[in-house]
Amino acid sequence: MFDKLSKFLIPIAGKLNNNRYLGVLRDAFMLAFPLTIFGSIMVVLANLPFLDNVLSETMLAGVQESLGSAPNATMNIASVFVVFGIGYYLAKSYQVEAVFGGAVALTAFLLLTPFFVSTESGEVVSNVLAVDRLGAKGMFLGMIVAFLSGEIYRLITQKKIVINMPAGVPPAVSQSFAALIPAVVTLSVFLILNIIVTQGFHTNLHDVIFKTVQAPLVGLGGGLPATLIAVFFIQILWFFGLHGQIIINSVMDPIWNTLSLENLQAYTSNGELPHIINKQFIEVYLVGAGGTGMTLAVLVAILLFMKSKQMKQVGKLGIGPGIFNVNEPVIFGLPIVMNPLILLPWIIAPLIVTVVSYTAMAIGLVPPPTGVTIPWTVPIFISGFLATNSIAGSLLQLVNVLIVFAIWFPFLKFIDRMNMKQEREAEQKNRAADMQAPKEKI
Amino acid sequence: MNRILLACSSGMSTSLLVTKMQAFAKSIDEDAEIWAVGQEQAKKEMENADVVLIGPQMSFLKGELAAEAQQYGIKVEVIDMMAYGMADGEKAYKQAISLIGATS
Repeated sequence: MFDKLSKFLIPIAGKLNNNRYLGVLRDAFMLAFPLTIFGSIMVVLANLPFLDNVLSETMLAGVQESLGSAPNATMNIASVFVVFGIGYYLAKSYQVEAVFGGAVALTAFLLLTPFFVSTESGEVVSNVLAVDRLGAKGMFLGMIVAFLSGEIYRLITQKKIVINMPAGVPPAVSQSFAALIPAVVTLSVFLILNIIVTQGFHTNLHDVIFKTVQAPLVGLGGGLPATLIAVFFIQILWFFGLHGQIIINSVMDPIWNTLSLENLQAYTSNGELPHIINKQFIEVYLVGAGGTGMTLAVLVAILLFMKSKQMKQVGKLGIGPGIFNVNEPVIFGLPIVMNPLILLPWIIAPLIVTVVSYTAMAIGLVPPPTGVTIPWTVPIFISGFLATNSIAGSLLQLVNVLIVFAIWFPFLKFIDRMNMKQEREAEQKNRAADMQAPKEKI
Repeated sequence: MNRILLACSSGMSTSLLVTKMQAFAKSIDEDAEIWAVGQEQAKKEMENADVVLIGPQMSFLKGELAAEAQQYGIKVEVIDMMAYGMADGEKAYKQAISLIGATS
């Protein structure tokens, strides 16, 4: 039965992984990754819990203000990088001059962005861009516009409606002339669109997309039920030996990353955290304890309490990479893949941990992740502290490890006993063969 | 010389196996170049390889990579699950060699 399901899942996984748009989206977020890491380091430094004891109030404010430009220049305007990245990688996937694709996408996005801000008193300040529109709030509009503009741009380029320069003209010059007509046409489309929306409907696409697409989707994705469904599918895919995150994240990342950015923006401006679920909740509390399925607890159980050679070998191989949340040795070595004895703890443990972590944050025992970016390879305890800026975040990880340990233990013990029995039988057979061998010689 | 390219999601988990495979190749005095890359890089680097092995968690890449590998006349195969999990360098190396043998 497992084989049949596996045959059914592999093509779906392949389609999702190889989908052009999802692949482009994944690469575009990776473009923002090093930048947001830089911003995150500075946010963590500026908000270290003991800082207010060491520094005077004015000094602390000074430090926070000086370091504050780091998140402002990175994650608070993350949509800029994602939009450029989508334009760039989409053009590249069609083998069209990529850097122009990126530049056109960014310009198209800015064409739809109001260059004025209305203050609370109703005053209109012109010639300014609202930072939040370039960050979390504009993320979904940005993604939509970048894909649309990228498609229009490459269609015109591929139809060869371009100005060709004679041979001998430097490539940079001829390329920028070749990009001329596609760029002008693409940008005109978005300019006209903006005129229709602003003049005809007295609004802007930022607000429209935010209200009708982004807020509902992000609200749904930030809830417990959707998270449990996503976690369930990640575990199921891994059970069939397929990389669950690569497949599910390509769908969920836009939502989870937006939730992180919204949290961070709120955190750096007023210290509040609107969301519990976000990218770091998933990575720190569901991957950050030994890898998918939080197998660090499994390795500890194996190393301390299991006796069969097979398990000991997996434990020894798995613990090193496991500290950095790489757990292929456990998944394929134990094995977890297609192992009906392990299906239950493999699926149940992460679901329970999700509910426990969510509840701990909802009732205020542990602060939700602030949204600072943390690479998924950061070891347990450290990642929990960095994500929540509180030692309570680390303690929650330890509680989760204990939960996983308790759920897995009886199953591991059972498999261990079976392994030992097999190993003993194999040994007896060998010994019997050894005993017989000399006799035959005589 | 045998040139073996390993591909997985980011090249991270497969690099474990690379070390073991290199150690095994050395132990039998065979000259081998073995390296691991992520899925994006795999297509670009396969022209320098004699065979491509994929981590089992990325088995769904096989069709795509195999189509790409055809022009270089090399084989693409998924690494045996147990060999991958137990980082069994010997088994994975032999798998690679048998695939190279089948091509040439």
